[in-house]
Amino acid sequence: MNFTNPVVWVHGDCLSPTHPALLAYPTRPALWVWDEALLEEWQLRLKRLVFIYECLLELPVVIRRGEVAAEVIAFAQEHQADGVLTTASPSPRFQVIRSTIESTLPVTVLPVEPLVAYDGFLDLKSFSRYWRVAESYAFQASTPTPDLTQGKHPPTPPTTPGSAD
Amino acid sequence: MSRDLRRDFTDRADMITYLQEQFPAVLPGPVPETPGGRKAALGALRRFEITRYGSSRNYLRGAVSRLSPYIRYGVLSLAEVRHWALAQVDDPRMVEKFIQELGWRDYWQRVYQQLGDAIWEDLAPYKTGFSPKHYAPNLPEDIPRGTTGLVCIDSFSAELHRTGYLHNHARMWLAAYVVHWRTTRWQAGALWFLEHLLDGDPASNNLSWQWVASTYSQKPYFFNRENLERYTEGVYCRKCPRYGHCPFEGSYERLSQKLFPHAEDPKKKHRKPR
Repeated sequence: MNFTNPVVWVHGDCLSPTHPALLAYPTRPALWVWDEALLEEWQLRLKRLVFIYECLLELPVVIRRGEVAAEVIAFAQEHQADGVLTTASPSPRFQVIRSTIESTLPVTVLPVEPLVAYDGFLDLKSFSRYWRVAESYAFQASTPTPDLTQGKHPPTPPTTPGSAD
Repeated sequence: MSRDLRRDFTDRADMITYLQEQFPAVLPGPVPETPGGRKAALGALRRFEITRYGSSRNYLRGAVSRLSPYIRYGVLSLAEVRHWALAQVDDPRMVEKFIQELGWRDYWQRVYQQLGDAIWEDLAPYKTGFSPKHYAPNLPEDIPRGTTGLVCIDSFSAELHRTGYLHNHARMWLAAYVVHWRTTRWQAGALWFLEHLLDGDPASNNLSWQWVASTYSQKPYFFNRENLERYTEGVYCRKCPRYGHCPFEGSYERLSQKLFPHAEDPKKKHRKPR
């Protein structure tokens, strides 16, 4: 991620003010693009647009619409960016957009802390096989508890089963 | 240069009017009761009675979290919700069921990462004794219109359309009704849900429909009236004109024989809700 002047591309799998790229580059421009083709394909209803828009209004993002990769590239060029930062997504559409942007500009995908911090093999043939391994990792807490503003739930370290330290 | 969309509004109504103007092709309809954003997400977290979750979650009036739209859009990450949950209790076993549900979301996302758009295809044969050809490709119109005459099903359909939210158990009953009683392909139901659910995510949505249909599980999920009446505390059945003679009447064994007469082992136990 050795960018000097990146822009941040915010997509629908990480609409949080704690977005890793927004935290890492708080002064760099950030963009959200309404994916016009996806809106048509999924026939999304107004209620979902409203929900997403309310999420966006709490983020320091410029909001645009159109073809996502083209809009991200144009935005990056407007800001003389040397790269694009975003967060991971399992969506195949994300992979296509990322590849298209990468034909013009380098893209770095930052991870969001996973539920299961385990890099080994997880058998996904069934949930029970996955959970047999994942469970102990899922009970290991390492993220600070979200600040609930009223301080009702201080981030006390819990006792976790299977915790090695 | 593209035109930036507005960020300043006098109030929610102003924003909604603006969105309707900007996206005239988006189908109109009710606006969500669930507000978007991190502040609202943290409010939902504060209201969540997590210690009641494990024992009451299958009841429609149970202490469910209502966090799913925020988790779906990453307003809250699974890891931070998990950490918050563990911080609420001295003994992690008290929040075991909730963390397992976070695990289900993580699991579906990992499967999606692996399979991509293949999650729209049957991942395995139906275990119902029927071939895919047996199932209709389109959703029967009376289901989204809420005119089946079954008060429970019509109420769930109306709630989905109005609020963009359904309790997990209601999702499963509705999905089972679509696939097994109305012999409709799960894909049609999955698309319908994705259109309306605020938390609509292809992975959790499609793979759960496949789980109900039995194309991503060892047996179909179905239910009977007794089960539905119990977990809804009878609110639908009491006002249903078909009470006592609805399609959901009977033991699981009887319903299994009726719904899946050609299945290899119709006496197989039914699935319980997750």
